[in-house]
Amino acid sequence: MARLHLCMDPRDNVTTLLDDATDQRVLSDGRPAAAGVPFGHKVALVAIAAGAAVVKYGVVIGHSTEAIQAGEHVHVHNCH
Amino acid sequence: MFTTATEFAGYHRADGRVGIRNHLLVLSSVALTARLAVLAAEAVPGAVVVAGDFPRGLRGPDAGLQADVLSALVRHPNVGAALVLCHDKASRDAMAVALADAGRPVIVQAFMAAHGMADAVSRARGALHDLAGQIAEAPRARAPISALTVALECGGSDATSALAANPAIGRMVDRLVAAGATAIVSETAEFIGAEAVVAARAVSQDAARDILAALARCEAELSEDGESYRGVNPTRENIEAGLTTLAEKSMGAVNKIGQSPILGCLGFGATPARPGLWFMDTPFFSPVSLTGMIAAGAQCTLFAMGVFNPSGNPLAPTIKICGNRQTLSRWADSIDVDVSAAVYDGAGLDLMGDRVEAALLATAAGQTTRAEDWREGQVMIPTTRSLL
Repeated sequence: MARLHLCMDPRDNVTTLLDDATDQRVLSDGRPAAAGVPFGHKVALVAIAAGAAVVKYGVVIGHSTEAIQAGEHVHVHNCH
Repeated sequence: MFTTATEFAGYHRADGRVGIRNHLLVLSSVALTARLAVLAAEAVPGAVVVAGDFPRGLRGPDAGLQADVLSALVRHPNVGAALVLCHDKASRDAMAVALADAGRPVIVQAFMAAHGMADAVSRARGALHDLAGQIAEAPRARAPISALTVALECGGSDATSALAANPAIGRMVDRLVAAGATAIVSETAEFIGAEAVVAARAVSQDAARDILAALARCEAELSEDGESYRGVNPTRENIEAGLTTLAEKSMGAVNKIGQSPILGCLGFGATPARPGLWFMDTPFFSPVSLTGMIAAGAQCTLFAMGVFNPSGNPLAPTIKICGNRQTLSRWADSIDVDVSAAVYDGAGLDLMGDRVEAALLATAAGQTTRAEDWREGQVMIPTTRSLL
């Protein structure tokens, strides 16, 4: 089973997870997802360089504080 | 562009605006006449009562705003005729002058001119029957989608609001603006954190400056208790739910404006000068912000919710849009559009936009919304000073 998720805008580099299958490691479209990311949280759709813009809803919602790999959880520990 | 229609059938008014309802309005202009308004309307099926707790004795700009909003409600495109109840003869005379060019049948009565309550009720009912007869045969006629002004609102927000209900509305707003229609978004506080989006979307430097000034003033007011609004948002609860930054939290609500440019900052109740997307500087309580956008001429509201919210407006239908299946199940008799498939089934947001569009077109054509069926709705006018 792959994880249900929703990308809000084609320009986004993160997507929001929509299920509780936190043991799964793949998104419904085959891309990677880190295990353990809860409902409503974000994972990176592509690699995001340190200091680069994090884009959701087609707008910059923050910047990465370190390099983030595709599929990695994007939250307060690596984005502000 | 609209995927299914380019026009709707509405009620054409003398000022060129087009209503999607032909309401017989009973307006109590002051709290003192509220009971009379209710008793009068009981005798006339379909009469719509607006009887807020409107105070007497407001001063300066508060008095001006109250007068302007009450006048705007009588002149609203969804109003076919109105009975306006004032307390005394002087206020009646002033109201009659203010509404002389309302362009539709209007009767203004003074409560104090009556000889007892029964007489007051009898006079008001007589006037209402007269007005009802005058608008009973009003026809609907074709009008372009560009004649629509839509208010955008959210309340009872949760994660599904940000994921489905607000973006579905945003898709609809893009179609409305492309069709030459008007949309108004308000609730200044919700835009705090989305300053960069405002600056990027504002059509001119003046528009950006005006909106950003409104946001700065609102943030200063919210921080007056000594706690920085920006410092406590997103809250611990927001962060646990997955929200990382204030910008992300704000965009959960702000994404209901879609991708269109923002043409300017409207004062409370002010009518947009031209079609397109507008920001209105209002308080965040839904009955107040809705009153501002509807006074500006919005014929209906697209209202996103996560948990249920009973806000509405008596004059302009409120289309309630929800993506939370628990709420949809529990409040099945009170919600109009189900966009939960975007949250639970992987459905696209454009498809959710289609559902909003279908509901908007049906509502414009006369299908009642759930809030209308329940006669749910409030009118609240903000004041800057408490009464002395």
